[in-house]
Amino acid sequence: MSAIIATPISAAPRRPEARSTQPVLPRVAWWVISVCLAVLFLYPLWVMVSQISVEDFLSFADGAGGLSVASSLGNSIFVSVLATAVTVLVSTLAGYAFSRLPFPGSKAVFFVTLITFMVPFQAIITPLYLVLRDIGLSNNLVGLSLVIATFNLPLGIFLMRNSFAAIPATLEEAALIDGSSTLGALWRIMLPVALPGVVSTALLAFFAAWNEFFATLILITDQAQYTLPVSLGILSAGTNNAVDWGLMQAGVAITVIPCIVIYLVLQKYYVAGLLSGSVK
Amino acid sequence: MRRKTLRTIALSVAAATAVALSGCAGGGGGGDAAAGGTVTLWVRDYQEAIMKPLADAFNKSHDTKVKVTLVPAGEFVQKLGTAAAGNNAPDIASIDLVFTPYFASVGALADITDKVEALDYADDLSPAHVAQGQYEGKTYSVPFTGDVSVLFYNKTLFAEAGLDPEAPPKTHQEIADAAARISALGDGKYGYVFSGACGGCNIFSMTPLIWASGGNVLNEDGTKALLDSQEVTDALQLYRDMWANGDMPELVQTDNGPNAGTPFQEGKIGMKGDGTFFLGTLASEGTVDFGVTPLPGKDGGSASFAGGDNLSITSGSKNPDGAWEFLEWATGEEAQTQLADASVLPIRMDLLDDIYIPKDPRYQVFADALAKGFVPYSTVENELFNDNNGIWATLIAESVFGGDIEAAQKKAQKAAQALLDEAND
Amino acid sequence: MTSTLLPPAPAAAAALSSPRRRRTGLGRRRQLTGALLALPAIALLGIFFLWPLTRTVFMSFFDWPMLGAAEFAGLDNYAKAFTDAEFLRAVGFTLVYTALTTPLLLVVGFGLALLVSRRTRAARFFQTIYFLPVVIGLASGSFLWLFMWQSDVGPTTQLLGSLGLVDPAKNIFADYWGALLIVVGMVTWKVAGLQMLLLLSGLQSIPVEVNEAARMDGATGWQVFKHVTLPLLRPTLALVLVFSVAGSLLAFDQFYILTTGGPANSTITAVYQIYRTSFIQFDLGYGAALSLLLMLVLGLVSAVQMLLLRNSDHS
Repeated sequence: MSAIIATPISAAPRRPEARSTQPVLPRVAWWVISVCLAVLFLYPLWVMVSQISVEDFLSFADGAGGLSVASSLGNSIFVSVLATAVTVLVSTLAGYAFSRLPFPGSKAVFFVTLITFMVPFQAIITPLYLVLRDIGLSNNLVGLSLVIATFNLPLGIFLMRNSFAAIPATLEEAALIDGSSTLGALWRIMLPVALPGVVSTALLAFFAAWNEFFATLILITDQAQYTLPVSLGILSAGTNNAVDWGLMQAGVAITVIPCIVIYLVLQKYYVAGLLSGSVK
Repeated sequence: MRRKTLRTIALSVAAATAVALSGCAGGGGGGDAAAGGTVTLWVRDYQEAIMKPLADAFNKSHDTKVKVTLVPAGEFVQKLGTAAAGNNAPDIASIDLVFTPYFASVGALADITDKVEALDYADDLSPAHVAQGQYEGKTYSVPFTGDVSVLFYNKTLFAEAGLDPEAPPKTHQEIADAAARISALGDGKYGYVFSGACGGCNIFSMTPLIWASGGNVLNEDGTKALLDSQEVTDALQLYRDMWANGDMPELVQTDNGPNAGTPFQEGKIGMKGDGTFFLGTLASEGTVDFGVTPLPGKDGGSASFAGGDNLSITSGSKNPDGAWEFLEWATGEEAQTQLADASVLPIRMDLLDDIYIPKDPRYQVFADALAKGFVPYSTVENELFNDNNGIWATLIAESVFGGDIEAAQKKAQKAAQALLDEAND
Repeated sequence: MTSTLLPPAPAAAAALSSPRRRRTGLGRRRQLTGALLALPAIALLGIFFLWPLTRTVFMSFFDWPMLGAAEFAGLDNYAKAFTDAEFLRAVGFTLVYTALTTPLLLVVGFGLALLVSRRTRAARFFQTIYFLPVVIGLASGSFLWLFMWQSDVGPTTQLLGSLGLVDPAKNIFADYWGALLIVVGMVTWKVAGLQMLLLLSGLQSIPVEVNEAARMDGATGWQVFKHVTLPLLRPTLALVLVFSVAGSLLAFDQFYILTTGGPANSTITAVYQIYRTSFIQFDLGYGAALSLLLMLVLGLVSAVQMLLLRNSDHS
């Protein structure tokens, strides 16, 4: 996929491309369209923020029925961090293997990874529940984290494999000639260059884990171990099963805002990683 | 600092995990009858306000401790099912009574026939709840909370529309007339509201209109569907006419439960079929001057859905003795009084006069409704009635909003009968 | 499909595992290292994906209720799927939804990519904004849009109502197209940024010289786009299409939250129906069979897309 793309880049140094796009749209029109679109894209987030009220957050803080938002937050952080760490570690190793150290059957393994994409999660959740029970990880945050990590592997391995593939072979060869071991080369030479890919993988895994609802709902059976999306769902359900829109939006805000902050802070790497990871 | 916090969290999580795991592994050995130990209990989320104080009271006075887990109401049945399939269900489940036949029929609940029969007040429990707790002659649950359906009406709007606030509708025609006159007030006022995309809500608040006319949706033992009967047509026609006349706000067409109550609470709606819980909400807000009256039949009469929760011990419970201790206590006078104080309808018929009815003049209507309430009995309740995309919900959507009642009934009857035949095979 | 997704890596790897190295045994050692490095991934996939998947396949040959005894049913579940009106309707709707979203996302994503492809600070700023919704969870986004478009109370309904564009009392979710368009709008908002970024990476890797050469030969802007840019973008387009088609065919959350399948069951997707089969009707065996059929379709569709778009791969 990238053969075609990767080669020209190295052959032709990048240049400002404004020249090739400028004639298509005059400057003013470009600004008008960009700003209008920006308003449209930001509008739903503005709706969310404008609905936030202190009372709603305080009512979350009170908890209800022994549901503690603080401990749910702790659970969410635990699951998200563990799932992210596992995804990054496993994807990096496997991505490196698939791109640099192909072994008999590696294509088949990569293919199986991609099938994970094509299965409706609802279809295997019950067997998955039984599997977790069989290996003693039911109702367990570690088990949940491993499940989430597994379902993030296709994207992670895909990104990491492409990130490594984009690095010129000469770089690794030089390290190997200098006497580095394969792993040493991975750690010292390759990984720093592939850092944007790592950040992208980490963020995608984190966002997925942070937002996971259905897997947590089915796999976790004790409310002390609920993560934020499940707890907030319960808390905003209110009494008499009547919806409280304010509470619901406060819950949405609590889940959304950390993701946005993390994205804005790390976006330089994130975007670079997605760019190099997806096509190269 | 930050790292420390994270570690503390990680540790507490690990500790919680360990406790949970040991809770699973141990407990089974459990000593004598006054069990001790911990029992886990699942309840639908919006009942936390009731369950939490109850659990606290129980834990204060018992060696056995009950640990409550709130489960999102919309996913309660599938979560309990998955957990039971993995033999990992809680010790006690507080189940919407209509689902007890299903869970009993598949062996997920423990047989507690002897224990229930030995209760002094075994004959004083709500008959509808008791009936739902039976499967093939054995008892699998005890009644816990009552929630019966009645007609709520806004007295202020009745007066504004020139209706007598002390003479609520007694027939379908009177409902339709009142609805039309209230809608005629304009200014965002509507005569009637219901949740048009919600199966469970309508088995609760619409079937009484059918029962009160002498009809039914299922026969007594749940083997024959009666969805194409005349009484069902009448109830659907009543709703269809009110919808077509613009006597309902547009939101009813897609509401799957949580939205229909709000406009009534805001004083914009004339009438709504709802349950005991709703009275608690309205009374505590105090913004609407409302009355309650039984849901009427076509030409008079009245009926009610006797709903609420049953408590069951699961068949995989590691501590059935401790679980029974809670079940016995929860049906006892202390717990039922505490429920009544929280404006929940108790299920002890012998206690209603003392602990419940005196609290509010409107409670008499609920107490009467509980005594002669109906509940359709079916092991495929979820698929047939409660599924928001299921047979019953589709029948209502196609009749009320589509308009071709006869065709919708025919289709629903055929599908329902096929389902029942397969289930009772 | 593997060949399309896999190709470039060997370029580097081949250099390292050249015959000379293999003879020295280094190639074999590298293979072994590779297998070892992939082992954790294989283990996770084996335990948490292939094992449950195998159980799912096994269940699909049984009449397997969630609780109670299972009975062998051979291929009955599969046969039933082809005459199950509810499932077929759900599949039909899923196809409509996919046919609607795929081109829309592609066009919007492409438009955004062209817009932000200038190398200016402003362009980068807008790129950040357009990508922002991507980091929001599908469920959170759905709850947000559910609120926005509520009749009477929804802020968007009120806003458009005050401008006289819609009747704020009107229930948009009660109309098939209204409900569907809200879902499509939410998904476009949430996903277009990702497609923008992927396409942008493709666009930026096309050397300026290629376009300029075409221009000099007298090609118009449209001709350059059609005969130069698009063919060179094929691999990226393949990737974007596979992602978006797979996402659409597996759509569930957005409909579960925004439309709950309504009005009158007209927006039930294939996965929604699988969910109902497994968790409302408790028919796990049939649900498993439906899932596997869907998986098969998805695999085929992805393979076809890859085949159609691959021929530019080795230019």
